[in-house]
Amino acid sequence: MKNRVVAVWLGLAVVIAATSLMAHHSPSAIFDMKKKVSLKGSVTKVDWVNPHIVIYMDAKGDDGNVESWKFESNPPRWFTKVGVTRADFAQAIGQTVTVEIVKAIDGSKYGYLQKITFPNGNQLSLLEAGQTEEVRP
Amino acid sequence: MKLHLGTRAAALAAAALLSASLAYSQEKTPSATAVNAKTSVAGEAHRTADGHPDLSGTWTFGIDLPPGDLQKVVDGKVIRVHYDQGARHQASHNVPGALPWEPTPSYRPEFQEKVKYLEANESKVDPVFYCDKPGTPRIGSPRKIIQLPTETIFLYEDISGDPYRVIPTDGRPRRADANPSAYGDSIGHWEKDVFVVETTNFVDDTWFGENGYMHSDKMRVIERLWLTPDHNLAYQATVEDPVVLTKPWTNFARVIPPNNDPIEESPKCKEDDGHRLLNLDHHLQR
Repeated sequence: MKNRVVAVWLGLAVVIAATSLMAHHSPSAIFDMKKKVSLKGSVTKVDWVNPHIVIYMDAKGDDGNVESWKFESNPPRWFTKVGVTRADFAQAIGQTVTVEIVKAIDGSKYGYLQKITFPNGNQLSLLEAGQTEEVRP
Repeated sequence: MKLHLGTRAAALAAAALLSASLAYSQEKTPSATAVNAKTSVAGEAHRTADGHPDLSGTWTFGIDLPPGDLQKVVDGKVIRVHYDQGARHQASHNVPGALPWEPTPSYRPEFQEKVKYLEANESKVDPVFYCDKPGTPRIGSPRKIIQLPTETIFLYEDISGDPYRVIPTDGRPRRADANPSAYGDSIGHWEKDVFVVETTNFVDDTWFGENGYMHSDKMRVIERLWLTPDHNLAYQATVEDPVVLTKPWTNFARVIPPNNDPIEESPKCKEDDGHRLLNLDHHLQR
């Protein structure tokens, strides 16, 4: 099990590193790989833009107040290539979803979206190309 | 160009077949035509009526994308979608027909420190990082080529937008009143089976490659495009800039396979990460 967790983490690291081919910067320049978190909240907006799509979400913080989060993810063209359109994300606007992200080092409400679980249980996850393990919450 | 009757008949027949194929494909899968056209004559490139190799078609997207897969869970069923990068640009050091190349351009001594600075700070100062135009030749090979008797048209998909270039091939002179631009003013001609595009009249605020490859407005770019024996597109660029370089620089050739994905408008580009960068680590893009 431990190996599996390591494999998953390496996979996520590779995906993010590769993504920076488009974004030019390394993941270490923005995101702390050790700060992977799961958040539950309401999707407010989907920006289908280059060089990476952006999802906005409102989530309740520890103190019960609503916090506005912003997540970037892979480039729109990548999503198109794997058969995901803006509509797949936009249908969740106003609904409660669960996301897995790695957080920005600067402590802002910013992250890299790795996985999203929609209200009906459907999920989208980014995986490393060679990775065979499924990523489960 | 004079053609033997047999060759001309074959060319006309091939053109007729291509036309029929185009008409059909417009209702079906437009870009499939490119693949079919290139392979319709076994072992031999399709030629246009004037005898030149036909570069027309849709070619693979030129920018690196993440190699990862997507996993969907739909109604409890797990679906794994692999993004196949096998058909994207491949850097190759041994492309048939390619010119000798060098790994890096040779800058004049007075510009070397500046280039080092730009390279080291690329994630902060590269115009392309912030959605600006890559220009010629950094944008690379076109996504779609439309080869007509008097001009050839290059269409691109780029995160900065979707530029086009209209390249005269009928001997008309360059425009005297054209403003300098990122993609410049181009003229095309054929050297045997190689389509050669000479471009001048550039602005000086683009880079001609990664690693801070700045240039002056005196830059001249020569792009060469040809079909490989296995019907891929080969692309190689040479940069001349007597102001900043000690000699012309020829980059390695790229081999670009045909591609069935339809060309489409790129979403607008909004790069918002610059102020979040806590170090200068970066990677190559093109």
